[in-house]
Amino acid sequence: MSPPLVEVQALHVRFGQVDAVRGISFTVEPGAATALLGRNGAGKSTTMRVLAGVIPPTDGLVAVAGHNLRTDTLAVKRLTGYCPDVGGLVPRATPWEHLQLAARLRRLTDWEDRARELLERFDLGAASHRVTAGFSHGMGRRMSVILAAFHQPRVLLLDEPFDGVDPLGVEATMDVVADARARGAAVLVSTHLRELAVEVCQDAIVLRGGAAVAALPAQDMTGERGAGVYRSLLD
Amino acid sequence: MSTALFSTDALYEAVGRRWTEARAAVSDLAPLLRFRGAGLRGRSRPFAVLGLALMLAVTVLAAWMPAYFPEGDQRRTDVLSLLPAGLFGVLIIAIISAAASGGGRELMPRDQAVAFPISPTTDHLGALLMAPLNIAWLLQSWAMLGAVAYVGGASAGLIMSQALIVLWLITATAIAQVVGWGVEWLRRGPGGLWLTRGLMSLTALVGAYLIAADKFVPLLENSPTFNVAVASLQAVSGPSVLYGEVALVLVLVLFLAVTGGALVARGVSRRPARDVVRLETSTHQSRPIPAGDISALMRTDRVGIWRSVPLRRGLGVLAIMPGLVAIAGSLEWDMLTILPGLVASGGALLFGVNSWCLDGRGALWRDSLPVDPRLVFASRVLVLVEVLLVATAGTVVLASLRAGLPTGGELAAVASCAVVVVLQVVSASMRWSVRRPFAVDLRSSRATPAPPLVMVGYSSRLALSTTTVGIFFSVLAHFSWEWSVLCAVPFAMFSAYRLVRTGSVWADPVVRSHVVATVAS
Repeated sequence: MSPPLVEVQALHVRFGQVDAVRGISFTVEPGAATALLGRNGAGKSTTMRVLAGVIPPTDGLVAVAGHNLRTDTLAVKRLTGYCPDVGGLVPRATPWEHLQLAARLRRLTDWEDRARELLERFDLGAASHRVTAGFSHGMGRRMSVILAAFHQPRVLLLDEPFDGVDPLGVEATMDVVADARARGAAVLVSTHLRELAVEVCQDAIVLRGGAAVAALPAQDMTGERGAGVYRSLLD
Repeated sequence: MSTALFSTDALYEAVGRRWTEARAAVSDLAPLLRFRGAGLRGRSRPFAVLGLALMLAVTVLAAWMPAYFPEGDQRRTDVLSLLPAGLFGVLIIAIISAAASGGGRELMPRDQAVAFPISPTTDHLGALLMAPLNIAWLLQSWAMLGAVAYVGGASAGLIMSQALIVLWLITATAIAQVVGWGVEWLRRGPGGLWLTRGLMSLTALVGAYLIAADKFVPLLENSPTFNVAVASLQAVSGPSVLYGEVALVLVLVLFLAVTGGALVARGVSRRPARDVVRLETSTHQSRPIPAGDISALMRTDRVGIWRSVPLRRGLGVLAIMPGLVAIAGSLEWDMLTILPGLVASGGALLFGVNSWCLDGRGALWRDSLPVDPRLVFASRVLVLVEVLLVATAGTVVLASLRAGLPTGGELAAVASCAVVVVLQVVSASMRWSVRRPFAVDLRSSRATPAPPLVMVGYSSRLALSTTTVGIFFSVLAHFSWEWSVLCAVPFAMFSAYRLVRTGSVWADPVVRSHVVATVAS
């Protein structure tokens, strides 16, 4: 069995007096997709931000492909692709300018064709040179998924990627997750939408009050029975 | 039922409705102010109270202390002769400020205001309340109150004199607010952008003619504010008929301006901000990918500034207005050293004091990119320096048109001063940006990068430090050029040292995550 690409042990994140994450541990194997589920304030987005290298952990170990996030943040950022839960786009830059910046800083070559293909797949081809400030919420979400995925990261972090996205965008996002898994990347999806999460991931971790209350196969949370299981874990 | 009777009823009904709306708008102000006040947490609250108390104390001192300054007939005559022009200048600067900021500052930021039914009248009254929370307004007001106290001298009647000046300051602000809304209404209408540009060009041409024909200063001296100044000074020795007449006229104009402003604000609220919408849906063809990381970062930072309507407009005003004022006042080269500080401070107050907010909600994504945070910091610093230098150069070049050929010493003093104050302002701005970030949507031309009271604090500190440096280099302009260059070196090195230190603070992941999470929220 391959070593996990994402390893989180006893992660704690504290903001002042508030414990946003309290001792979460989990791993994600190459080619696997794990869903982070839970109510608002459960610690999902904070965990994702830690993995993206945007928030430093207060305590615990976070490693991506063997790189300790605390000591080797830049290496972790090179290996991950992150779609933040809010916005995620520089208001006055165009999608193409976002892609150029990412391509430059990630040392990508011959990235244009893939970028164009992704823009078309997410129905943003016609808006690729338009300032993103005028984008709808759904367009912004789709563009954020493209930015997370276009450099084919070894760890794909999607925080609320389906929020306010139309069915075609959801389908395209699912394709991106499937592609990532097929090439051996680890995928973490944080979402409120249980049905979509279980459709795209094979494992699920339910968070409550900053702690993990359950880790179970995603199929256990499908259908009405799964909804009941999920509901019971939230209270 | 007769038509006449119906019309009268309808009129009464309309007036009654407007009156109810106006009362509701006034009563909405208090909860909105409380809401803004509740946003002040921790140490900010006592600082805000202290700031307001300080402003009040300085106002009282400015209106009273100069009355006890030593006698000097010629100086008093000079100040007296400048008083009408100074009072008129308050109106002009207030109009420029209101017009440039799309109708004045917001009582509540636009993105927060959408959740509340805030009427245009409340918005208008809020903008009027916010207007004095501006260092330019405060400085001018203090200068006018101080001038009247100095000319009038110490007596019981001084209180009445100052009361009239305060009434004029409020009236001028209200008039400026109407004009500001009017310009915004025009700008948002069909072909509004070109209409307002044409209007501004025409105003500039008329101004240029008046200056060239030496008619500008006499016009200021004979402005309607002449009566305000005379009536105010007459009150020192007791009430006069003129005082009563002027006070009555000012109260009437104030009432008309406040009510008229509410009507125009209503008109503005019904029109979309065309220039903002146009820019937010604009397309930009791709350019070749930048050759280096720093140039890629700088390109993204630049678009955040030059594709923003309020920042472009603000920088344009800063690059032109001080230069025009310098031309009007026939400033000599040794006095031009004051301008760089003014422009650099103004530019920083547009966005620089909270510079990470330019990334908005993209800050989280940008911080997830694999790049040394110090490089990101360096990029922001370079772009800020570049923008402020461009604006400063614009105004200095304009101001130099009437100042004649400079000596080597004068040229070196102005250039050195520009470099020093720009570095000084950038250093302070970056320090504040890291220490106190705010989530601000700078899409609206009425938005400020920090809450109003914080802005007053920032602007006061910038004004004090840059003016001091400007005066210092003004003295150096009389020496040979080497002195200015030599004196600029330690200033520049100190600012560079502080920038490096702030860069190290920014590189700390805990500090950076706080900044990023705040501006992206």
